Amino acid sequence: MRYLVKKLFTLIMTLFVVSVAAFLAFQIIPGDVVDSILGTEATPEREEQLREELGLNDPPTVRYVNWMTDVLHGDLGKSYRYSKSMNEMMPVAELIGDKLPVTLWLSFLSILIIVVISIPLGVFWAKSRSHVLDAVMSVLTQFSMAVPSFFLGILVTYFFGMVLRWFIPGSYVSYEKDFAGFIGYLIFPAISVAIPKIAMTARFLRNSMLTEMSADYVLTARSKGCTERRVMYGHVLRNALMPVVTFLGMIIAEIVAGSIVVEQVFALPGVGRLLISSISTRDFPVVEILVLYITSVVIVVYVLVDLLYRLIDPRISHK
Amino acid sequence: MNDKVFVQKSMIQIEDLSVSFGSTDAVKNVSLEIAKGEILGMVGESGSGKSVTALTLMGLTAESAKITSGRVCFDGVTLAEAGKPRDRALYREYQGSRMSMVFQEPMTSLNPTQKVGSQVEEMLKLHTTLDRNERRDRVAESFAAVGLKDPKLLLDQYPHQLSGGMRQRVMIAMAVILHPDLIVADEPTTALDVTIQNQIISLLREINRRENNAMLFITHDLNLARRLCHRIAVMKDGRVVECAGTEEIFGAPKEEYTRSLIRAVPSRVNAVPGGRKEAQSRGAVYGADGAGADGRQPVLEVHDLHVYYPESAKGFPGRKQRKCVVSGADFVLYPGEVLGLVGESGCGKSSLSKAILGMNREIKGTVKHHSTRPQMVFQDPYSSLNPSKTVGWLLMEPLRAAGALDKNLLMSGQEMEERAREMLARVGLDERYMSRRPSQLSGGQRQRVSIGQALITRPGLVIADEPVSALDVTLQAQILDLMRRLQREMQAAYLFISHDINVVYCMSDRIMVMKDGKIIEQGETEEVFANPKEEYTKALLKESYTG
Repeated sequence: MRYLVKKLFTLIMTLFVVSVAAFLAFQIIPGDVVDSILGTEATPEREEQLREELGLNDPPTVRYVNWMTDVLHGDLGKSYRYSKSMNEMMPVAELIGDKLPVTLWLSFLSILIIVVISIPLGVFWAKSRSHVLDAVMSVLTQFSMAVPSFFLGILVTYFFGMVLRWFIPGSYVSYEKDFAGFIGYLIFPAISVAIPKIAMTARFLRNSMLTEMSADYVLTARSKGCTERRVMYGHVLRNALMPVVTFLGMIIAEIVAGSIVVEQVFALPGVGRLLISSISTRDFPVVEILVLYITSVVIVVYVLVDLLYRLIDPRISHK
Repeated sequence: MNDKVFVQKSMIQIEDLSVSFGSTDAVKNVSLEIAKGEILGMVGESGSGKSVTALTLMGLTAESAKITSGRVCFDGVTLAEAGKPRDRALYREYQGSRMSMVFQEPMTSLNPTQKVGSQVEEMLKLHTTLDRNERRDRVAESFAAVGLKDPKLLLDQYPHQLSGGMRQRVMIAMAVILHPDLIVADEPTTALDVTIQNQIISLLREINRRENNAMLFITHDLNLARRLCHRIAVMKDGRVVECAGTEEIFGAPKEEYTRSLIRAVPSRVNAVPGGRKEAQSRGAVYGADGAGADGRQPVLEVHDLHVYYPESAKGFPGRKQRKCVVSGADFVLYPGEVLGLVGESGCGKSSLSKAILGMNREIKGTVKHHSTRPQMVFQDPYSSLNPSKTVGWLLMEPLRAAGALDKNLLMSGQEMEERAREMLARVGLDERYMSRRPSQLSGGQRQRVSIGQALITRPGLVIADEPVSALDVTLQAQILDLMRRLQREMQAAYLFISHDINVVYCMSDRIMVMKDGKIIEQGETEEVFANPKEEYTKALLKESYTG
């Protein structure tokens, strides 16, 4: 309980610091939202008017406090850039709310693929001790880690979409219309995200398993007459998972925070694309909220990893 | 699988067994038999092939081990044979149910992430058809049978919550729960304190009597083997050099190697001549009350010393709690004297030595040094030397440190190298070792380097914390010999810490006995051994008596 309170406090403090940092960054970087909205042809009067409307003439501290107060009251502000109708700007909540599920589902699917494939693969790799597999896997790891993700995305599109024809590239279906179709389409970008991570995680697990396999308790397990399978899954895996869990946590945070490139390649209306366009148009309210979202996700994932750690290793919680 | 049944006399027959790893032969033409109800001791230094023999018998050797000759038979069935790949399925019918093993390190041989109850229960899961409740009852019964208290409570505890002795009992409970015909115990007491060691030995003996099973007891400690085993096989360089009844081995050893092993055991009966005896007469010069009779100044005075360790505060973060680990230590140490400090692990020996060297500042009382830069020799020669440096560099390090602190002691690189070479020769290593790294040295050689490091600045005081506990008996004898010789040559005072009262006896002029943070008895070595005043000292002496 005390642990959770402590973590919650860290979360709040971090979010505060990050929000200030993002706010300051927007003060410093060149470029003006008014310019990007009105274009270079606008009259100074029109610019001044817009500035007043958006509250840009207030001093930065006041703007930050106002914005923060609004956010804490559940009002995430309005986009400078996107409009809902002719004379109403798009609320950020609505703008993001629409795209968040796409990114979250994509992340969830990728992570599921990573875990489901890399763990048995890592165990098998450690168990087989075959030099052929070692060679094949290290080439694959090198390849999948070195190839840029957009290219991997293109390869996946080509292979599954054009050669196997398992999906039609660009035929994204909204989750509101057809959930099964949505997942069916999302699987492929998820594979592109997962491939390099699978290779890394499997390698990591394999190394960790090999280290654990020379531990004394493994000999004890064998002396009891455990089958090799039981030794691996019953004894070695749980101990070997500990460093892997940390690693997975880092990967998960990375994935949730942005599969930006992959979203572009597969034409997914996710948060990643929104983030890029908002930064380039200086759409401050949107960027700030997205930054806070990414930060919270990362921290929450780390807390979950920490809890998982305690679950796996009894020594931590007893200390 | 049963085609190789032949007339059987023994439970275990190892015939002409050779095992090799790549091109090195770890075991050479070993033949052994163990009968039902018999305890066979296997004695030898580390690397003599005793563990490989045991692991081959159990079918647990690494993949790279190959049986190059002979075979292993269990109850008339050939389990392993030269030229045949290991039959894992066949072995699994025996492992656990008919033969089981207790390992050396109770700290690491249990799975840290599983409850001890489930780990023992796994035996029953694998080899019986009992249901969960029956299994748990059986485990609790076997915990009780090996002398563990609150067996029901213990089922759901994790290994890190138990002491070393308790863990070893859990291991033994696991090994005996299915009443196997053979128990292999590989150095089961080496990692434990003397008192616990004795309890475990008694337990093994009792199990052997009760179950009438065969037991293979592996140890480097001849005394232990003598107390437990019916017969003893002495191993050296992969061969059995001598195998006979225990009394025969001790009474009339045939081989020179066996005799040297017996001689090397630190024992009160064959105390090493010279060294201590000579110091004895010198020790008598100093009054027991601490004041030097001849007016010489002590190198170390410790008065009413309390040592504390901060404990994690459970209340408010600001409030510091501390635990007293040493209370009221009071002693002096004179130049050229060896003061032994004996006690079980956890009694505060190491905390005391750290406090004396100023590595723990949570103290009350006074520590007065009358020597400059006291040095320390540590227990584990494998982790106390920086693996990335050469021996020469390591030996020069204390000189560099001394030079950095005191301009008068500043030496040129050449002078330092000269001193390092000289020290290397003194600790019995030749010049080639200057450029070697610790990983290229054996345990005994590393400990020689550690001792050289401690003595190179010619300190008045050296604190040696269990300097031989991690070494084999023969090495132990060599290192003790070296330490004694250097102590005389360089006129250093030693505070010699050990859990082994026999080792302390060989080394020390005076002895202190420590228990639960208190020094309960101190006096002249002979005096303490002849007339121990405290019950605890008597118990220690009795337990370690080797005849």
